[in-house]
Amino acid sequence: MLLVENLHAGYGASEVLAGVSLQVKQGSVVALIGANGAGKTTTMRSISGMLKPSQGRVLLDGQPVQGYTAARIARLGLAHAPEGRKVFGPLSVEDNLLLGAYGRLPAFFGFRSQAAQDLARIYELFPRLRERSQQAAGTLSGGEQQMLAIGRALMAKPKVMLLDEPSMGLAPVIVQEVFRIITRLKEAGITLLLVEQFARSALEVADYVYVMEHGKIAVEGLPSEMHKNQRVLQAYLG
Amino acid sequence: MSALMWKRFLLIRGAELATFATLAAIPLFVSSSYALGLLTLLAIYGILLIGLDVSVGYLGQVNLGQAAFLGLGAYAAGLSVSLLGWGLPAALVASALTGLIIGALLALPALRLEGPQFALATLSFGALTVTVLNEWEGLTGGAQGLQLDRPPLLGIRLDAPAFYWLCMLFLALVWMLMRNLLSSHWGRSFEALRDSPIATDAMGVGTYRHKVAAFAIGSALGSFAGGLYAFNFQYLQPHSFVYELMVILLLGVVLGGRKSLWGAFVGAALIVLLPNLLSNRMLFQVFSALGLLMAVLAGVRGLLNKTTRPFQALAPIVAMGSLVVGGLLVANTEDWRKAIFALMLFSVVVGLPEGLMGFVTPLLSRLLRMAPPALPAPAALDEVLATRQVHGELLLELRNLKRYFGGVKAVDDVSMCVCAGHIHGLIGPNGSGKSTAVNVISGLYAPSGGAMLLHGKALPQGSLYRAARAGIARTFQNLQLFGELSALDNVMVALKGVYRMPLPLLLLGFARREEKRAQAEALALLQLVGLTQQARARARDLTYGAQRFLEIARALACKPELLILDEPAAGLAQPDVAQLIEIIRRIHQRGITIILIEHHMDVVSELCNVVTVLDGGKIIAQGSAAEVKRHPQVIAAYLGVAPAEAEHAQP
Repeated sequence: MLLVENLHAGYGASEVLAGVSLQVKQGSVVALIGANGAGKTTTMRSISGMLKPSQGRVLLDGQPVQGYTAARIARLGLAHAPEGRKVFGPLSVEDNLLLGAYGRLPAFFGFRSQAAQDLARIYELFPRLRERSQQAAGTLSGGEQQMLAIGRALMAKPKVMLLDEPSMGLAPVIVQEVFRIITRLKEAGITLLLVEQFARSALEVADYVYVMEHGKIAVEGLPSEMHKNQRVLQAYLG
Repeated sequence: MSALMWKRFLLIRGAELATFATLAAIPLFVSSSYALGLLTLLAIYGILLIGLDVSVGYLGQVNLGQAAFLGLGAYAAGLSVSLLGWGLPAALVASALTGLIIGALLALPALRLEGPQFALATLSFGALTVTVLNEWEGLTGGAQGLQLDRPPLLGIRLDAPAFYWLCMLFLALVWMLMRNLLSSHWGRSFEALRDSPIATDAMGVGTYRHKVAAFAIGSALGSFAGGLYAFNFQYLQPHSFVYELMVILLLGVVLGGRKSLWGAFVGAALIVLLPNLLSNRMLFQVFSALGLLMAVLAGVRGLLNKTTRPFQALAPIVAMGSLVVGGLLVANTEDWRKAIFALMLFSVVVGLPEGLMGFVTPLLSRLLRMAPPALPAPAALDEVLATRQVHGELLLELRNLKRYFGGVKAVDDVSMCVCAGHIHGLIGPNGSGKSTAVNVISGLYAPSGGAMLLHGKALPQGSLYRAARAGIARTFQNLQLFGELSALDNVMVALKGVYRMPLPLLLLGFARREEKRAQAEALALLQLVGLTQQARARARDLTYGAQRFLEIARALACKPELLILDEPAAGLAQPDVAQLIEIIRRIHQRGITIILIEHHMDVVSELCNVVTVLDGGKIIAQGSAAEVKRHPQVIAAYLGVAPAEAEHAQP
């Protein structure tokens, strides 16, 4: 579903990604782990078009999308729930969610009625968001904001979803909740690329794992293989 | 000093010396009074722009009041000569003082405002000043203007060359004093509070005080230039100081390059040449062609280095191109002056956001192979952070601390004790009041009720600055680094107990040794967190993990007794978490007491002597990490699963 080949990207003169290749098969959850500064977030940003890759290919459902603007890639079916949540603080929870569907649904007639079904689906997944649907998103707690960011990405009914550090700054009980949601997304057949600092938890939900070091994929394999790999164990699984 | 440093020193000082020597020699060869008049104006506008650059470049505020300060200074000097019969030195002092005092008075309310509001406040100040000068006819002569004579200096009558030399001498003096000021901790603090006022206060550097000082100094330079302006023209009209001049001044600073004395000089040269540029067709065409060439060069270079987007490269070329074409088509360029200013300002803002000097300086330093100034060897850590002797006595006590936001009780009746030498963990669900509690302790918020005692004495409330002075340093959950400053400068801004030189001596350049000392101490702290290699990198270019560590080093530069770390491991991957634990251990060994807010339970278990658990603004458990992890309420509200599993779920 998502295929990345020899991706190079960076900020200004400094190159952060030095040839990243990975693939995410339909309906699978792929985890991307590694140290800070290894290039995980930069990989995500170059896939979703927030950063223009200088070299390499990104294929979304077989179609090359590298070099497109982020808005265009999003319309083609890639949703990015960025690091640090980035919800629209002053807008209500519901408006935040509806924003996620703007790229997909008709702009004038029939938007509300079609969106209502999707909203109901999201609220079913995140009952807390229904309770707070008219509250400004900025007043939610960190955990609720993370749910909102995931919900907003789901509203786009994406082919592939990128999830960057969903557990950052959250209490353990909420982190467990987030991983339960990821498991449910996986059961619902959502294709997911996940960057996560809690490597051990990420390995539990993932079908396949890539380990990044210095802008490259250093190790890849099934989660069970990672548990056997001494180097990965020591460096990333603690 | 090494050979490389000598080279750097000689090139930089040499360029300055050569420029001023050439400028000083000009009257010996050139007798045209017109050219001399222009050069005198160059000196005057140079002083004015150096002043304006303090607020525009260093404070990062759009200041539209500098033209008014020029006018105020001019009238102050003019009136003290024509009305009070004072001599030239006294009149110049009067003009500078006028700017200093009125600048400080304006800054007190205006600098509470940010961005556009500040720009509007200074704009209205400018309008007000011109109106007062115009309408107070009894004093200023109103629109009729004010005639004055240039009084002799020490009995010598100042003819045009002599007055020119006087102005150049003042420019050289201002240049030297401001270089010393802006390269000292004052200049760094000005820049720091542009990037993050909250962190500047939290590091014990008074934001407000520095802002007012910076603005007052800039205004004083503006009105001092006004004094010289008055004696240059010997005739003043309120109409000269309207906002059109302000736009030109702003253009000068932005085009020349912010945060640069040379930039102010180049900008002043442009302002002086502008009227001639517009009246002389030939000159205008040469200049617009040069501008086009510059735009093309900058655009191509930017595109090759991938630092600019195509729009950024193309827009100035189009704007400058239309100047060239316009110069051929239009009958009278002076009628189009406003359009011409607009096109120039637009091209500079889009194409050369760093200004001419910002564009040329890196090129020159690469061309001449100039090395950045060498850094001293790091100081011994023991001299920077002396190990405190602690014996677990009571350090910080909170009694019934409360903080409400409207009806929300974020911190509700919290009482706890932090013992000296402990690492005291503070955990709880998101929104449980941990961050609010440390924000109250560190002075970001005032408490709604209750007491805070440090060593049994009341802790200053509601002031980051005073809490920092009392010995409390902190890091921020959402990083609050001074992004544009280097890692080293970030630490140097916060450094306590090094900067002792009184301001007058510092202005004269006697602070070099203490500056070296500060660098050595800051390097020692960077070494502690493992960032020696990145000392010169801009803080915002560092990786996320490095930024977290830099915040810790910066907080340590305050030499605190109590260090508050707000989620230092948030977003850190496993290898960096291990390094973080090691850093916190080393800080703890120095006898610094730490309050640690953290969600990584393994970090908390490994480091903390005592853990307090908050939920809904109240304490629900307290004890050792092992104890609280077994506490049923903590499991229900926070951990979610029993301890054995929790360890598993939290690598």
